[in-house]
Amino acid sequence: MKVVVALKRVIDYNVKIRVKTDGTGVETANVKMSMNPFDEIALEEAVRLKEAGIVSEVIAVTLGTQACQDVLRTALAVGADRVVLIETDVELQPLAVATCLKAFVQKEQPRLVLLGKQAIDDDANQTGQMLAALLGWAQATNAFKLEIAGDHATVTREIDGGLETLEASLPVIVTADLRLNTPRYATLPNIMKAKKKTIESLLPADLGVDPSPRLKTLLVSDPPVRKPGIVVNSVTELVEKLRNEARVI
Amino acid sequence: MSAYRAPLKEMRFLVHELVGLKRLAELPQWAEITPDLLDQILDEAARFAEGVLSPLNAIGDRIGSIRSDDGSVTTPPGFKEAYQQFVEAGWNSIATPQEFEGQGLPRAIGTPVSEMWHGSNVAFTLCPLLTQGAIEAIHIAGSEALKQQYLPRMVSGEWAGTMNLTEPQAGSDLAALRTKAIPNGDHYLLHGQKIYITYGEQDFTSNIIHLVLARTPGAPAGIKGISLFLVPKFLVNEDGSLGARNDVHCVSLENKLGIHASPTCVMAYGDQGGAMGYLVGEENRGLEYMFIMMNAARFSVGMEGVGLAEAAYQHALKYARERVQGTPTGTDSHQRSSILGHPDVRRMLLTMRAHVEAGRAMAYQGSLYLDLAAHHPDASVRADYQTRVDVFIPVIKAWNTEMAVNMASLGIQVHGGMGYIEETGAAQFLRDARITSIYEGTTGIQCNDLIGRKVMRDQGRAMFALLAELEQELSAHLSAAHELEGSQIEASLKACDASSLKLFSELKVILNAAMVAVHTLKRATEWVVATSVDRSRHPEIFAGAWPYLKLTGNVLGGVMMAKAAQHSAQHLSAKEGDIDFFEAKIRTAHFFAFHVLSENEGLLATLTQGGQSIIDFPPNAF
Amino acid sequence: MTTLVIAEHSNLTLRASTLNTIAAALQLGEPVSVLVAGYGADMAAQEASLVVGVHQVLHADAPHYAEQLAEEMAVLIQKLATDFTTLIAPATVFGRNLLPRVAALLDIAPITDILAIESNDTFVRPIYAGNALAKVQTLETKKVLSVRPTSFEATAAQGGNASVVKIEACAAVRLSQFKSRDLASSDRPELAGARVVISGGRGLQSGENFQMLEALADKLGAAIGASRAAVDAGYVPNDYQVGQTGKIVAPELYIAVGISGAVQHLAGMKDSKVIVAINKDPDAPIFQVADYGLVADLFQAIPELTAAL
Repeated sequence: MKVVVALKRVIDYNVKIRVKTDGTGVETANVKMSMNPFDEIALEEAVRLKEAGIVSEVIAVTLGTQACQDVLRTALAVGADRVVLIETDVELQPLAVATCLKAFVQKEQPRLVLLGKQAIDDDANQTGQMLAALLGWAQATNAFKLEIAGDHATVTREIDGGLETLEASLPVIVTADLRLNTPRYATLPNIMKAKKKTIESLLPADLGVDPSPRLKTLLVSDPPVRKPGIVVNSVTELVEKLRNEARVI
Repeated sequence: MSAYRAPLKEMRFLVHELVGLKRLAELPQWAEITPDLLDQILDEAARFAEGVLSPLNAIGDRIGSIRSDDGSVTTPPGFKEAYQQFVEAGWNSIATPQEFEGQGLPRAIGTPVSEMWHGSNVAFTLCPLLTQGAIEAIHIAGSEALKQQYLPRMVSGEWAGTMNLTEPQAGSDLAALRTKAIPNGDHYLLHGQKIYITYGEQDFTSNIIHLVLARTPGAPAGIKGISLFLVPKFLVNEDGSLGARNDVHCVSLENKLGIHASPTCVMAYGDQGGAMGYLVGEENRGLEYMFIMMNAARFSVGMEGVGLAEAAYQHALKYARERVQGTPTGTDSHQRSSILGHPDVRRMLLTMRAHVEAGRAMAYQGSLYLDLAAHHPDASVRADYQTRVDVFIPVIKAWNTEMAVNMASLGIQVHGGMGYIEETGAAQFLRDARITSIYEGTTGIQCNDLIGRKVMRDQGRAMFALLAELEQELSAHLSAAHELEGSQIEASLKACDASSLKLFSELKVILNAAMVAVHTLKRATEWVVATSVDRSRHPEIFAGAWPYLKLTGNVLGGVMMAKAAQHSAQHLSAKEGDIDFFEAKIRTAHFFAFHVLSENEGLLATLTQGGQSIIDFPPNAF
Repeated sequence: MTTLVIAEHSNLTLRASTLNTIAAALQLGEPVSVLVAGYGADMAAQEASLVVGVHQVLHADAPHYAEQLAEEMAVLIQKLATDFTTLIAPATVFGRNLLPRVAALLDIAPITDILAIESNDTFVRPIYAGNALAKVQTLETKKVLSVRPTSFEATAAQGGNASVVKIEACAAVRLSQFKSRDLASSDRPELAGARVVISGGRGLQSGENFQMLEALADKLGAAIGASRAAVDAGYVPNDYQVGQTGKIVAPELYIAVGISGAVQHLAGMKDSKVIVAINKDPDAPIFQVADYGLVADLFQAIPELTAAL
């Protein structure tokens, strides 16, 4: 069976972001970009399923400009068999992404779609659930463990205070949480081989989708700065302050 | 403990733009190396350095490698797994030839990658580095049978390699070495003791391939009687499986100032009858083979210096940003600021930054020359680049490693008292860096190599040719800078923006300073060549070998800084790319001109007038 | 023009997040209905009817709502949506799982994880792990929202008197089946919702030393968390982790013990109302976000603090 993994190119996890002075967003020019960390985990899971003989083909797909080719190259170097760029330069919001992915999934007919639980830029945590809704598939978000046996997927999910296990018939959407696996590093020989593979390209129009944004971002700003704290000299003083000043104990 | 971050922007700027990867793509075997492939390799190497190697650096220092009574060595926790990941990711074979399943990538790409390994964890990196050296030696000189039997598994990293040169009485002077190799059928039996054997024993690999310098019976005395032998820890059967344990053992580990994770072994050969060894190449040519690899090895150690200095800089900068202390002069408010507000702290950090950038640029330039000297299809072009390499190598090695020691020390200074506390992590860089100006030829040996072999021997021909080329480049840049400034004056007048104009006038100052520096080195070289005519004055010249090498490094680095500033100004004028990055480049080059190139006149005076005071102070006067 | 709050509950009782969500819904200024879909959830529905400000409670009861699976719930909410202009759920694991599914069925772009309500159609939500805030306006015909519970003060649980209306369940879709739930058994409150959180870092030096924090947590009714460094060092399990990649908490009182304050950790706790830092290193970055800092050896300070409470 085929598996589709949806990837997003985001500002690298280690970059300290800067809000643009005009409030229109976050500075992305000349900033290091990488694959969304949760998507790396999703991709790793797909590659492991292939290595286990459960999956026959891993197709990685992303949406965005030509610049997104780098994450697709990385996906090839990690073990994706095919990579596809749905090329667009509009501001992408989760519903538009899910709509494009729906059409893409209908075209490719995978039995499993893996995504990260959220992207670390907009922190929306929506795309997987929306894709499941649009396809009318089962969903298992925040996956901690994924097992596929025959036509069934058993997914253990991270929930508040513990874990929950669901079972669903394929096809199914699974979104990856942090502990699902530890992604491997791309190998140098695979990077060299990936160079020779082609990146397939599609337009949203080819999929019959209009990806225009439906929400308007009016302002992006820095979070409020806390007022400076004080240093207390003893445990006694700390208790006194917490009781009488902060009134939290 | 702060984490290492690969300076990818800087690396890309150098490789893509300043050093000129284009020239490599002209070589047929590397025609397919495109900028985006290079970016991807650098990105993935950075992930590995930051994610795997850097987190182990402090642990490696604290715990170190430990030898057990049975002679086995246990590397620090996590190192064995990291090695496994390292070889699985294929980094071990980045430069090895494709015929042995290596990637065969040029040094111009391998260099920034190796800088990341050194910057994140130099003690770990020594193992693959030594293996690389052993692979090269076998590849250069070994018989086909040896190559087939040993290289594939060394390239894959399944086995590691070591280099066994030093003996207690034979350090920098290998002529004194005594290890014996007695012919015994198709092999030799080795007896002797080797010291300072990096990763001579470890728990990373199932076999260790030692390359050992030794003398055969009746070999000529001195360096002309030294042969090279391959001595595996476990003998290898015909079918490739591992056989008996060979008679080579780690008898102790040195207790060192730094690189604690790297086991520095005393190796005993033949304590139980003789260690089986196989001749590599021909008898008595061992040192010659070593010399073929010497440039590469010295270059690598120079890169250790760059990597460590960068790491020390990052560590100090992070601390300076976070540490709140005092009120900087010139600010009225009594609000305390981070120590980055203090001019002297910024001076220290800029000193570190400027030296690292200069050293890196000079080394990356050298890496391109190494590639062209080895692989250009035209033999005469290869030869030209080889003379360039010969001048660059001792400078890259000595200037960068001395620089690393000084910058790591300055890094501690930025931290104040906290820097002296091991837990802060700043001290490790100094302790780790301290060996780099010693091994693979001390700074003294590099200085003698430059002034003696590379300058006096050809009466300065190679050096003068290099200086003429630099002069020509700089004058072209200067006229371009004039034009740039002209067009910029108009633009600034229109936009009423004087601040950007300042950078363009600084550019001319930088280029002029670099030009003056080239002339200073020319004068220094003229003095060396003229003085060397009188053989009796050779000791005096060699007494000035260090100031001459330091001057050369300042000049090569300074020219690279000036060229970087020129490129940056062009980007700024076209308003393209990362403005902050390019502005910082110009300012750093300006700093280098006034804080480093300003040393040059003093160095020239020390060279031309200071040697005598050393010669006049004979050994018995101490 | 009415608002539907999707209640998070255990069939027996409402989860605290529901009260915060109702509070946010009330800010929109329209009548608030609450959906309690469950199985044998009469008590939860009853509880919802008492919450101050609730206009009516819609109660759907069927076996396939027992575990509030997103696939089942979404179909029901889609059907109810015709009567509401706003659908709102807590941005908890429950709400995050469900709400986007509902939104997609309605072809509405949702706004999730809202921190503040600026106006009827404009909301503030965190992006980049809270390192920036985005003010977002919806142009949709309906609003589908999730709100971060810690950003809205809970409405009073008692004092209201809403009617409970039984509604019909939809047919089960049975796309997925619930198998089991494995909750960490602990008397302590959940990390995500606790009023007080005490977190330990590398400074504790071992897993055993976390017992010291437990004694303090017992006194304060606090949950226990940890920095990534402590989790990486194996002192405590992964689900203790507070930070960018772990749990994001915003308790009334956060006590960081032996935590230096890496940026990633700060991202997970810097919205706490009052932050206390106890660390022997006066330069630890944690002090820069602390309201009260105590430079001390935690092995003395923690027992002393426990004794003083």
